[in-house]
Amino acid sequence: MAIRANPKLIDELVPYGAEDVVKCYQCGNCSAVCPFSKQPYVFPRKPMRLLQMGLEEKIKSSIDPWLCYYCGQCSEQCPREAEPGETMMSLRRWLTSRYDWTGISRLFYKSWRFEVGAVILVALATVAGFLAFGFSQGSIHHYDGPHAFLPSPSIHIFDWTLAIVLLALLLSNAARMWWFTMGRDKEVKAPLSAYFTKAYLLPVHFFTQKRYSQCEHKAPWLTHLALMLSYVTMLVLIMFFLRDMAAGPAIDWHVHIFGYLATIGLIGSSILFLRSRITKSSAQYKHSHESDWIFLVLLLTVAATGILQHILHRSGLDMAANIMYVTHLALVVPMLGLEVPFSKWSHLAYRPLAMYFADVRAVALARQGQPESMPEPVGGGLRTA
Amino acid sequence: MSAESPRIGVYVCNCGTNIAKVVDCDAVADFASQLPGVVVARSYKYMCSNPGQEMIVQDIQEQQLDRVVVASCSPRMHEPTFRRALQSASLNPYFLEMANIREQVSWVHDDGAIATDKAKALVRAAVNRVTRHEPLESMSVDMCPDTLIIGGGIAGMTAALEFADAGKRAYLVEKLDHLGGNVARVDLTAPYMDAAGDIVADRVRRVIESPNIEVFLNSEVRSLDGFVGNFTAMIHTSEGPAGNGHDVKVRVGNVVVCTGYKEFDATRVTHYGYGKLPNVITSFEFEHMLHEGRIEMKDGRPPQYVAIIHCVGSRSPEFHTYCSRVCCMTALKYAREVKSALPTSYVSDIYIDMHAFGKGMEDFYRRSSEIKTLFLMYKRGDHPVIRKADPGDDCDMLIEVHEQLSGETIEIPADLVILMVGMEAREDSEEVAHLVNISRDKDGWFIESHPKLDPVATTTEGIYIAGACAAPKDIPDTVAQARAAAGRILSKIARGKIEIEAVYAEVDEERCSGCRICNDLCPYVAIEYDPETKRSHVISALCKACGACVAACPSGAIKARHFTDAQIFAEIEGVLA
Repeated sequence: MAIRANPKLIDELVPYGAEDVVKCYQCGNCSAVCPFSKQPYVFPRKPMRLLQMGLEEKIKSSIDPWLCYYCGQCSEQCPREAEPGETMMSLRRWLTSRYDWTGISRLFYKSWRFEVGAVILVALATVAGFLAFGFSQGSIHHYDGPHAFLPSPSIHIFDWTLAIVLLALLLSNAARMWWFTMGRDKEVKAPLSAYFTKAYLLPVHFFTQKRYSQCEHKAPWLTHLALMLSYVTMLVLIMFFLRDMAAGPAIDWHVHIFGYLATIGLIGSSILFLRSRITKSSAQYKHSHESDWIFLVLLLTVAATGILQHILHRSGLDMAANIMYVTHLALVVPMLGLEVPFSKWSHLAYRPLAMYFADVRAVALARQGQPESMPEPVGGGLRTA
Repeated sequence: MSAESPRIGVYVCNCGTNIAKVVDCDAVADFASQLPGVVVARSYKYMCSNPGQEMIVQDIQEQQLDRVVVASCSPRMHEPTFRRALQSASLNPYFLEMANIREQVSWVHDDGAIATDKAKALVRAAVNRVTRHEPLESMSVDMCPDTLIIGGGIAGMTAALEFADAGKRAYLVEKLDHLGGNVARVDLTAPYMDAAGDIVADRVRRVIESPNIEVFLNSEVRSLDGFVGNFTAMIHTSEGPAGNGHDVKVRVGNVVVCTGYKEFDATRVTHYGYGKLPNVITSFEFEHMLHEGRIEMKDGRPPQYVAIIHCVGSRSPEFHTYCSRVCCMTALKYAREVKSALPTSYVSDIYIDMHAFGKGMEDFYRRSSEIKTLFLMYKRGDHPVIRKADPGDDCDMLIEVHEQLSGETIEIPADLVILMVGMEAREDSEEVAHLVNISRDKDGWFIESHPKLDPVATTTEGIYIAGACAAPKDIPDTVAQARAAAGRILSKIARGKIEIEAVYAEVDEERCSGCRICNDLCPYVAIEYDPETKRSHVISALCKACGACVAACPSGAIKARHFTDAQIFAEIEGVLA
């Protein structure tokens, strides 16, 4: 049965960053140079072709874009300057917008004005909310103690509420991703047991990003790993040790040493990424989408305001610390609330999931006895035989 | 010089290692030196090189050789070389015989011993034959400086202008009522998008204004008699004050055939629905649309989806197996023209292979993909299928393609389908070939003297071909060929006289019975019958010494110079001895 091609899809992908895909003439140099491009995941060549032809459903069902870490070698090798790496990136953006059932992601990627507007709106709402809350029950001159402007137990409750909402959104989007890529596939039926036996791959890929380390350029992997580990550390501190972080006057070094390290990691790696994007130092940083800038700027300012409010508090400048705290929250809430479910941040879930799905699929294909289409284990050395 | 005591030199060429790697050349030379009449026999790396030729000249002079055998490659390439060497040593060039031990021996045999034996046999045959060679003199005839050009397209006009610029007269005969040929039917040209109209209009103006060019429109060449340097052509023209036809007789020295091509008839292909689906058109119909400045469907709407299908009639086992060469780049040109006229449209280009050779073409291909042309590859013999779209679709037709680069079977929307029809030989090419006495290949294209080294000459002296009458060709190649043909002819005109090969058939009129069997048999129309003497005679300038008449003559009255019975029997005996 013939699949209907949609020549208009290529136009739809332009706002997502795929304008150069038209130049591709399928020589396959990109796939030849890519260490991950193996049957049946022949990328970037095949996804580029599907995009050129506008086979929308095929792209929606493919996990290929998530198997790429964008080392940029494909783009360096491309004889037509079709930017295969950036095309894969744009497909990830597009897929993110397809997984998201609210439609917000689509609006973000299509219009940076909308995304910036949403960030500002959420930031202002956050400021208004916390100011109202602070003045209703505390004093702006007190950072902690009984009259604290923003007492940590209340913030803790707020954090957990936000986390649960985000988790719900992310999980529902992840479920849609599963449906598009695995669930609705009539040809490959993955056994439930495979989902269990391969589940360990999720944390492995999430925490180590080991496949990224297999790319020829190692520096981006290290920077990315530092950023991710700092972020996770900070998340754990805030979700479980917020009281110890905010409390004074003595510094609890058990908590704070991690806090400082995470802050250094977040600020350092986001500055490194920003610098790479500004100087366009290599292929993967040449084409920055607005969503990339918004994400990095939010990350850097969140980390900066976080450490600043800590310094102000420690310096005894409680009012300044409170103002900085509100500013910090005004950045944290849109960063988490908008970026995690609807924009760039969501790859934290989709990428490990895709690699996990790939291995589950491999098990299914092996069971169905299709040796010719047997996929290479995407987990690489991590997969047990 | 007497054949009874010949002094023969035998030269065995190693051709680098081409011959020597299989044939023991020294052994062949040793063997030759034992043969009767052989005075000297040598083996050398390259006989065709200057030192090789000097070796022959020196031996002729120092050892008083009167006959030479060169055992090397096919005589096609180097017979003239060695003949010149003999001539420079004041020996009649026809005292040369070549034994082909490369194409007939070393390139086709692996076993060295057997190959060497075969080479020896061929050398023995050549020695036997050369003993019976006779000195022959070539003749020269006057060259008429005027030229007949058949076909008033871009090739014909270009050639005519070359003659006119050189101050020579050209007769340009065009079948239609206007000059310009197929190029005049084209809108823009790839890859620089300059207007074909400009290219043609400028040439037409110069041709018409030139006092040296006589243009015959609505005209045909009815007959061509004579031989190189001295042709008489009868031009039938419908032009004239009364409008009724009359014949014009012109005398010319050479003829350039520039009859071009015709486009493949798309109705012969049934699977694209041409003639049935209203919005399936041919490339020339699309050129017409572009000329009119309107790209639209039959109902007048502008198409949203335009599909271009390549290789219609070309590269197919049912129609023409060859590639028509210009359609790929023309298709890219259409993509650009559609995009520039209808910026919101979508163009898909459905091809087998993209042939983008030639200056500027690969860049043109890249630029065409940058304007978002969707390239879809189908497999030869597995052509796309067009069907009418369903009522709910936003397009008129759907084209099913087994797309090769993705492996997917897809349906692509289309409102207007352009079939890239290939080039084919004109229906009258057989007639023209017969008229000027040249050959056609299996596809009907005129055959050149040598496809690489002599592409505009034919096997008939004085008849040249240029442009797409010889094979599908683009405008630059056609123009280059037209100029090449004119250049070849002008250099001959400059010499004033032409040498005619001394090898031809002769009729012994005493023995001729006038049966005229040979008259119709001669493929070069070189034999004339004289009704007064009731004898046939050979026009030596036309004769190619093929020998057909010699074999056919029931009276044994025809003798081929340089291919006498005695020479051929001697050669056979040499091989079989």
